[in-house]
Amino acid sequence: MDFYLGLLQIIGVHTLLGLSAYCVLLTGQVSLAQAGFFAVGAYVAGMLTVLAAWPLVPALAVAAIAGGAVACAVGFPALRVKGLMLVVATVAFGEAVRLFFFNFDYQVARGGIRIGPHGGEGFRQIRYFPEHGWSTLDVVLFVWSAVALVMAALWWMDRSRAGAVLRAVGEDELAAQSTGINVTAVKVSAMAIGGVIAGFGGGIFAHYTTHIEHVQFGVVLATFAIAYPILGGLSSVFGTPLAVIFIQGFLIEGLRFLGDWRNLLFGGLIVLAMNLRPRGLLDAGSTIALKRLFVRIKERAGAWPQRVD
Amino acid sequence: MLKKYAALAASLAMIAASAIATPASAQERTVKITGFGAKSGVVRVFGVNSEAALKAAAEEINKAGGVTLGDGAKAKITIEFLDDRCNAEEGISVVRRIASTDAFVAVGPTCSNVAESLFGILQKKVGDASDTGLQFPIIADVAAKGGLAKISEWSFRNVPSEFEMYKSLFAWLKTQHPDLKTIYGGVEKDFAHSNATFGVMKAQAEANGLKIAGQSEWLLADATFSTQVREMKRANPDIVAISAHPFTTCGVLKEMERQGVKPKLLIGLTSSSSIETLQGCAKQAEGIIIPTSFAPVTPEAKKAAEQVAKFGGSADLHSAAAYEIVYILKGVIESQKIMARPDTVAADRVKMREGLAALKETTGLLGKVGRTPDREAIKPFLFVHAKDGSWQVLYKPAS
Repeated sequence: MDFYLGLLQIIGVHTLLGLSAYCVLLTGQVSLAQAGFFAVGAYVAGMLTVLAAWPLVPALAVAAIAGGAVACAVGFPALRVKGLMLVVATVAFGEAVRLFFFNFDYQVARGGIRIGPHGGEGFRQIRYFPEHGWSTLDVVLFVWSAVALVMAALWWMDRSRAGAVLRAVGEDELAAQSTGINVTAVKVSAMAIGGVIAGFGGGIFAHYTTHIEHVQFGVVLATFAIAYPILGGLSSVFGTPLAVIFIQGFLIEGLRFLGDWRNLLFGGLIVLAMNLRPRGLLDAGSTIALKRLFVRIKERAGAWPQRVD
Repeated sequence: MLKKYAALAASLAMIAASAIATPASAQERTVKITGFGAKSGVVRVFGVNSEAALKAAAEEINKAGGVTLGDGAKAKITIEFLDDRCNAEEGISVVRRIASTDAFVAVGPTCSNVAESLFGILQKKVGDASDTGLQFPIIADVAAKGGLAKISEWSFRNVPSEFEMYKSLFAWLKTQHPDLKTIYGGVEKDFAHSNATFGVMKAQAEANGLKIAGQSEWLLADATFSTQVREMKRANPDIVAISAHPFTTCGVLKEMERQGVKPKLLIGLTSSSSIETLQGCAKQAEGIIIPTSFAPVTPEAKKAAEQVAKFGGSADLHSAAAYEIVYILKGVIESQKIMARPDTVAADRVKMREGLAALKETTGLLGKVGRTPDREAIKPFLFVHAKDGSWQVLYKPAS
């Protein structure tokens, strides 16, 4: 049971990472900087709980703000470039963040040992969860409450005017601009919201892995971040967790018994999934079909004779 | 019709009789030991060697009758090995998976960064009810970065102390080569083990009067080293110390040959005293001196090396540690009277932890291995050097 709960933690945190990229992708921007924002959140939250002995929730809030602030700062210059150039620019930013933490040394002496980020050797003993009596189930509930909140907020945003504006910019920037939409503000806002979500997710990541170091926040993680919403489909916020379950739950964990073959199958199965579902696992057609199904179930439930006692 | 029923009844009776007639096979118990580590990526070879060593030792024990459980029954050891891809998240997941089974111990991991994370999820102090960390003993065979076992009282290691090894090596060099005055360091900076060990090398070099002429850095996945070697050439040191794994060690050595850098002495990282270095660059590595806790110099070590090769691996200081661990676990299972039954899992884990913590000495392939209070090993070691395409013993310090 503990294993499945642990897996749910991983899926939850990766869902947050994927959702951070989802926001940016809605505006038609392809950002590989999410791993950088995730790293900022991880280090900030870890330092606050370990070095400053802050409670977890305020530490995560500051991590989210830090992620958002960095994303906002990156958003402005990144707006000057588009398409592949934006990909290159955001990869460069992600690597810059990684290399910053590779060289970042801030240790303090406590109880005869030195604690805190230690350059290439990383930042160990971020043990807030076990030291404060959190069981694996408590952590899962916390992670998934956060995921539910973020998904609900994005779902609401998607259905509001703000969501329509984001998608309008993503569909046709020029047309959106001609209708009076401030494209710059929209793009920077999307990047900042993505940064907030990534920073928050990174903060949780640091606490369940207990040790963080620069290599965890490289291009591979950035690629995963963007792969989740693309593979899941951009028509709905629910596609991202579906893709995370497919990758983390099935491809990585479910196929572990295959040993060496797992790595060979990994890429092949992603290509297969993308070929079978070119618009994502949960595309617009599936979303409409699901909606119809829910409506039908609701209608049937309403049509059933009411019991009168 | 009656005949048909009679035939069916006879068949069932025969099946039942045969089941009763083979009590030995029905009662045969097994103890599953799960290893985990990197079996993919750049450091894949370490996981492959560990798995082979675990299987080789288990086969030897099984051939000799297996392991005696707490209730007096004999059991065979089976080995399973899971790949964590040298990734901390996957390492945690693998350990949670193992801990969800009847397993009472796990052997691994390969990478020090994975060990740091998963030792962190274990309960820090035994019996601390306020700490909800996982209560599951893990003994590491490869992860070599210094001081990792102190992270949790449930974590143990059977890896050599690199601090002692390099302390001894530099002190010995001072007596053997008093003419050598300067040293240049090269480090694979993004790998926890090589990076941490470089600090040890540097400190010991300075402590023995060597002047640091400079240092170059590169990454585990790097393939070109011309800039780093050019800096090295400019410094013109007497000694070059390379703290890197076989893949980049060979890259640097080949680049040194290309640029004509010929120091008077070469020193390498413990992990590079393996067959991979000789397969990759035997000619360029000629003369490199490395301290190691394994070489096939005793009858036991020679036999172990042959056994590991049978399972498709090669014996080096890391896989030899895995081989020794299986024997250590056998000893603890028998001394602690571990039952290895589904209903005794929690108790067996505690017994295994207590048994491992109580060890003061174990038997290694090169001799007796001491155990420290912080659950680390004090392994005998020797200095080897690459000569004519093989590792040969250069010096064995007095233990």
